[in-house]
Amino acid sequence: MRHVLRIMRDQYRTAPGLFWLGVLVAILPAAAGILLLGVAGWFITAAAIAGLSGVFLNIFVPSAIIRALAIIRTAGRYGERVITHDATFRFLADLRNRVFSAYSDGGTSGQRSGLLLNRLTQDIDALDQIYLRLVVPAGVILVCSFALVLFWASVSRDILLLGLFFLGAWGALTLRSFKRADVKAARRADAAREAMRLRAADMASGRRDLAIYGGLENAALNVLEADRRFADAEETGERRTNQLLKQSSFIGQVFLASILVMCVLGVMTQSLSPALAIGLVLLVLALPELFGQMLPGLSRLPRMTLAAARVKTAQSKNVCIAPDTIEAGPGLAGDKPPVLQFRDVTFRYPGAARTVLDTLSFEVAPGEVVGVAGRSGCGKSTIASLASRLVVPEAGAILVNGFNLQKIDEPDLRRQITVLGQKPYLFNDTIEANLRIAKKDATDDMLWQALEHAALRDRVLENASGLQTVLGEGGLGLSGGERRRLALARALLTRPSLFILDEMTEGLDDVIAADVLQRFLEFKGSAAVLMIAHKRRELDVADRIIRLDQSPHA
Amino acid sequence: MREKNKKNGDTKDAERQSLDTSVDMAGRASPAEAASLRNAGLLFVVADLLWILQAALIAYALGFLPGFATAQETIGEYARQVLLYPALLAAVGVILIAAIRSVLQARALNASRRIARGIETRTRENLLMSAAKGSPAAPFPSAGAFASHVTEQVELLGPYYRSFGLQSVRLRIVPIAIVLVTAWVSWLAALILLVAGPVIPLFMALIGMRAKSASADQQEELTRLSGALLDRIRGLETLRLFGAVQRTATDMARAGDRFRESTMKVLRIAFLSSTVLELFSALGIAFCAVYVGFSLLGDITIGTWGAPLSFTGGLFVLLLAPEFFAPLRAYAGAYHDRAAGIAAQEKLALIAGEISRSVNSGDLAASERSKSATGFTTPPEISFSDVGLRLGGRQVFLGLNLVVDPGETVFLSGPSGCGKTTVLDCILGFHAPQSGSVLVGGQPICDTAAALRENVMWLGQEPRLFHGTVRHNLLKGLPPTTTVSDDAFWQSLQIAGAADLVRRLPRGLSTQIGEDGFGLSVGEIRRLALARAAMRRDAKLLLADEPTASLDAETAADVIRGLEQLATGRTVLIATHDAEVLQMSGRRFVMTRPERALTEGLPA
Repeated sequence: MRHVLRIMRDQYRTAPGLFWLGVLVAILPAAAGILLLGVAGWFITAAAIAGLSGVFLNIFVPSAIIRALAIIRTAGRYGERVITHDATFRFLADLRNRVFSAYSDGGTSGQRSGLLLNRLTQDIDALDQIYLRLVVPAGVILVCSFALVLFWASVSRDILLLGLFFLGAWGALTLRSFKRADVKAARRADAAREAMRLRAADMASGRRDLAIYGGLENAALNVLEADRRFADAEETGERRTNQLLKQSSFIGQVFLASILVMCVLGVMTQSLSPALAIGLVLLVLALPELFGQMLPGLSRLPRMTLAAARVKTAQSKNVCIAPDTIEAGPGLAGDKPPVLQFRDVTFRYPGAARTVLDTLSFEVAPGEVVGVAGRSGCGKSTIASLASRLVVPEAGAILVNGFNLQKIDEPDLRRQITVLGQKPYLFNDTIEANLRIAKKDATDDMLWQALEHAALRDRVLENASGLQTVLGEGGLGLSGGERRRLALARALLTRPSLFILDEMTEGLDDVIAADVLQRFLEFKGSAAVLMIAHKRRELDVADRIIRLDQSPHA
Repeated sequence: MREKNKKNGDTKDAERQSLDTSVDMAGRASPAEAASLRNAGLLFVVADLLWILQAALIAYALGFLPGFATAQETIGEYARQVLLYPALLAAVGVILIAAIRSVLQARALNASRRIARGIETRTRENLLMSAAKGSPAAPFPSAGAFASHVTEQVELLGPYYRSFGLQSVRLRIVPIAIVLVTAWVSWLAALILLVAGPVIPLFMALIGMRAKSASADQQEELTRLSGALLDRIRGLETLRLFGAVQRTATDMARAGDRFRESTMKVLRIAFLSSTVLELFSALGIAFCAVYVGFSLLGDITIGTWGAPLSFTGGLFVLLLAPEFFAPLRAYAGAYHDRAAGIAAQEKLALIAGEISRSVNSGDLAASERSKSATGFTTPPEISFSDVGLRLGGRQVFLGLNLVVDPGETVFLSGPSGCGKTTVLDCILGFHAPQSGSVLVGGQPICDTAAALRENVMWLGQEPRLFHGTVRHNLLKGLPPTTTVSDDAFWQSLQIAGAADLVRRLPRGLSTQIGEDGFGLSVGEIRRLALARAAMRRDAKLLLADEPTASLDAETAADVIRGLEQLATGRTVLIATHDAEVLQMSGRRFVMTRPERALTEGLPA
């Protein structure tokens, strides 16, 4: 609940004017709808009495009011929808941006699984309901109730008490469903849906493995088991919704019956005029619609609460994890410090029994090409992650150009070091956009040149859209090796003092690999290179090789 | 209703034509379900129509008020009889009927919810079960597509059947009934409703058509926007490494604003349709009220059947008017569910077609029949004699002869595409050869394959691990009830050269792997998959498909060492062209592409 309120506050702050305007405009159609019936009841009764007694009745004013109310109701509904939706979309766009920056400020802990992200986007989309289905109806109901109470108070004390009683009943119903919002069921439903999705995905992509290990039929039954859990969890919520619907409409009907008796008594004691009495009854007839506006929001409350909590957590959990402070000596004496220096660096994954790297020390001098060799899993790639500050060492110090890595400004560090990771990420975007991530203002010539260096120019030229070809489904289907080469081209758009290349020529055939390697060495100029590789051809061009498996600890 | 009847008719016809060939995977309601939905709708209609009775009671009780006011009577027995008793009677009647109505409504809602739920589950079951029948060697929809159809697309059926079914029955009956009752009191009032009512769908259709295509585009655009956010967060590491985070954030914000502006343009049109609905229902009520008022004044004398409109009659008409429009509005609200549901059915039908094709091209069920056959207790002999197999119009084998003696190790080699994997698939029962025979332990594969699959050491070319812990994945190979000590896990991991690797994982054996967990490299996955195979210690047959492909030399050596350990005391068939693997002791069997396989029997 706390999180829902905080989301409301966030939305309020995004556009305070629109926030209130939406609620205010929403009052128009609701009030007009109630008044329309009330005035109509009053009018026909007054007309009947005038018809019977021959007393003069000004008929044009009431009939004009009735038509005006009909128009206000219509126009108000339209205005309300446009304004409240606009406010919500503004808020969601803003929220998306904030979630993105929260993630980008944070560390790159193993948090960012595809699953979590999928859920996050769904959660953000679910939050549009908070304002539309909760805030606006609640505002409208509060204002209308207040006006009703004033009106009833002006009629008679008995009517006021009766009205307060039933308003209280609706209020209690609302409060109860707030209190009882079953977030656990919503969470169970989410978990079951995710299990269903994952297991179904496994069933499609790992068919041979499943047929032999565990059986496809069992896998299908597994998915159905998740479906059953999903159904059970949803059932709770749906039953509650139906219950709420039933109770709300029953309250409305009992109210109607009660006010009927009360009004007739009022007419008998001559404390109420017949026209006013019938107006009051018809007013109550219109109330269930007013209070019904709140029901969809209330029934979705558990889902919203869950979504709000998760989005809020995602925002807060990722605010910058400060790196452990590490004792580092001053930059080395001498005119040119090493580009990269590891001093007794130890690293292990949080909670793991074994270290990945243990007191590793080495340095890379300016312009030097250093190879890092060793079998897979020995921590070669961890060196790249450490040097680019994606992970923080457990102990030891890392220096870049003589400065403690943990204290270098982010933009400075990124200018000094370019990393080609083992699994570089390519975005679902055009080739050009993917390349320009490295250098925003690169000319087309520079892009083509980079592609040429990575031996990918011809492949891109084959495509009619050239640099504008979109990667991914329905677009350019690049093979694994080609994707790596595109990532390499991207890296080649930068001019750092150190390149860290993790398996640079993976997926390239020997001739192309040799060519790409040769071009790179010419291109790199005075930059130093840390070449992480298990293939001879890359290690052969290195001035010096560090072998990780020779360390007794690794 | 008409639509549903038509659909029923269609399904019946379809059933008669092809009773056994197709199970419904597109999530259509069966005739029985459609009938139950209709009944639920009728319950709902009855609850709605009871309002007419309530309205009559209210109008009856309040009808005496104007007469009383003009009669100038004082309080007394007369007033009590004329006013209070009818009012009390009406109040009690209204509450009683309200109770009945809410029971009926709850029943209708619960029934339609249950039916909708049933359709969802059944559709999932049909999709999954027929997916389980197909041979793993046959083409199959992509994982993402299959998963999203099984979850989201099927989920869209729920609201369609749950709410739209009820509302369409309601729309067909309630307004007409109300018009008829109104007409009985005043034909002119009924005419007002009739004019205002049917105009609504017409206007809505006109506006809706324009908005529909635009809003579908918008929906896609929104999906793309969410997708872009997801994409950028996934690639955040890359963005950070290139110092492009801030720039990307700005780009995303701009895209979000553009989206909002274009969406609002569409919504301004889309909202017009609901505004038209609002306008006509408000005007309908207003005109009814004005007409009734003027009639009672005596300014309008037409519109009734002879006698002038009484106050009771007029009030009754006014009470009914809102209820005439309520079903129209509810129907408009549920219309979106219908569109989404039907679109989902179309998509489901498409994927169902793909799955059926995959089942037809290779049916696992062929070998499921004799699941009772037991596994082997000694290394079996494998023999292919004169096997011919066509797959997808291509001749893969023609007269293939291959014998692997019990306990022997044979390497299948040959150019890629010569059918090495297919040989292994045949042994596992994933393909049924058109001619010749494949025997394992002297029995035809269709008798042995199902039992064999449950107890074979198999290492695929691109092994997959599943969502769950390392321990959970290793257990996959064993019957569900087996209890396994941690030592057994570590032994298997040791054989596969994966023990060190698991020790380095954040939580050892309990580390989550798969989509939501720790990313493993290809080499690591292959070693874990070998450990999974090694868990089946009683297996007497070892099959491996390119066990060292795309591995570095050291990792490949680990895998080969593991295979060597596992090979003793088992019949072994390894598809490979890696010289290092061929160093293992065993016989080499060279296959050629495509027609004829030659037995060369070179000692390796």
